[in-house]
Amino acid sequence: MPREQKQVRELQEGSYVMMEESPCKINHYSTAKPGKHGSAKARIEGKGVFDDKKRSLSQPVDAKVWVPIIERKQGQVVSVSGDDAQVMDLDTYETFTMRIPEDESLASDDEIEYLEYEGQRKIVG
Amino acid sequence: MFPGATTDREAASYVVVGAPLDATTTFQPGTRFGPDRVRQFSESYDDYDHRTASRFTDLSVHDAGDVHPWDDVSAYLDHLAAELRSVVLDDAVPATIGGEHTVTYAGVEAVDPDVLVVLDAHLDLRDDYAGNDWNHACVTRRALDTVDHAYVVGARTGSPAEWERAEADDVTVVPPEDVGEWIRSMQADGVLDGDSAYLSVDIDAADPGYAPGTGTMEPFGLSPRELRDAVRAVAPHAGGVDVVEVNDRDDGQTAALAGKLLREFVFTHAATRRD
Repeated sequence: MPREQKQVRELQEGSYVMMEESPCKINHYSTAKPGKHGSAKARIEGKGVFDDKKRSLSQPVDAKVWVPIIERKQGQVVSVSGDDAQVMDLDTYETFTMRIPEDESLASDDEIEYLEYEGQRKIVG
Repeated sequence: MFPGATTDREAASYVVVGAPLDATTTFQPGTRFGPDRVRQFSESYDDYDHRTASRFTDLSVHDAGDVHPWDDVSAYLDHLAAELRSVVLDDAVPATIGGEHTVTYAGVEAVDPDVLVVLDAHLDLRDDYAGNDWNHACVTRRALDTVDHAYVVGARTGSPAEWERAEADDVTVVPPEDVGEWIRSMQADGVLDGDSAYLSVDIDAADPGYAPGTGTMEPFGLSPRELRDAVRAVAPHAGGVDVVEVNDRDDGQTAALAGKLLREFVFTHAATRRD
């Protein structure tokens, strides 16, 4: 599994963390005041990178969590069919089909960036 | 634990969160003791509610304990909002026990409603109080950055600037003598239909004769039954609730009223879901 362990205190907004077994991007990170007899607790909110589902996590700042290692890759659009694009990876020349994000419009020969994690892919621009 | 809040967090439909903030109280402090007072003086209530034919312990309520405050009010509200948002993400209703009224801002941030209904003696529409934007006297003003409209029900005092702000289109003030009629018209005309709401009960909306254990008493207030009817009317529309401004400067009658109103909210909200 392409993932590594980190302490909760090392996380920050904009980075990734596994929540409910899904890779999520952190959009809110806050810590409560430490109690007299305990370590501070962090509240982390994130959104699934591939499913857009909002999730939340509460852990002591010295707890360990899994951080997914998500690869950012380059690709080129081969063809567009409806909401899907056929994309060729510019390193491996592998081709595959990806859903076009709602706010993007793509055409053949466009170069794109995409995220990949365990066979899941998502166009990011 | 709030009496009867025996459900596990994962299975809960309602999550009670104590927010004992007591940082900006301007007259009589003590809201830091509010959550525990409300829990303590709710002990004696029967589990069974005859009106809704339901038992509180069957309504999937969890008590998550207190989110302890620290001296940076803005940072605390940010963290409290994250705690309450996690409840919303789990499709449950956050029920916050204050704490000073400032904590309502975190609830509003978490629930992100169209409308705020606040039962309160004070307008709380100050832009700042003594230079502090996060004073409890500013909470409705701050919430208007998030909500489209605020109903301030039972309000009977404010500064000239607050009354002027209250005349804007996004604020409706319902004075104590009009509350009964407002509740009737709300139910008859469906005032909140189609809107998501957040309900904040500042216990000083009650006449201080009924609720003296609060920081800023204001006479000529609402009766407990008027508060109860308002809570019942708003509850079906609400995605979150709080009861705030209870302190420890009485014999428990204020905490008892606050706890009863919180239970009324849950009973009514759950009955609406069931229908």
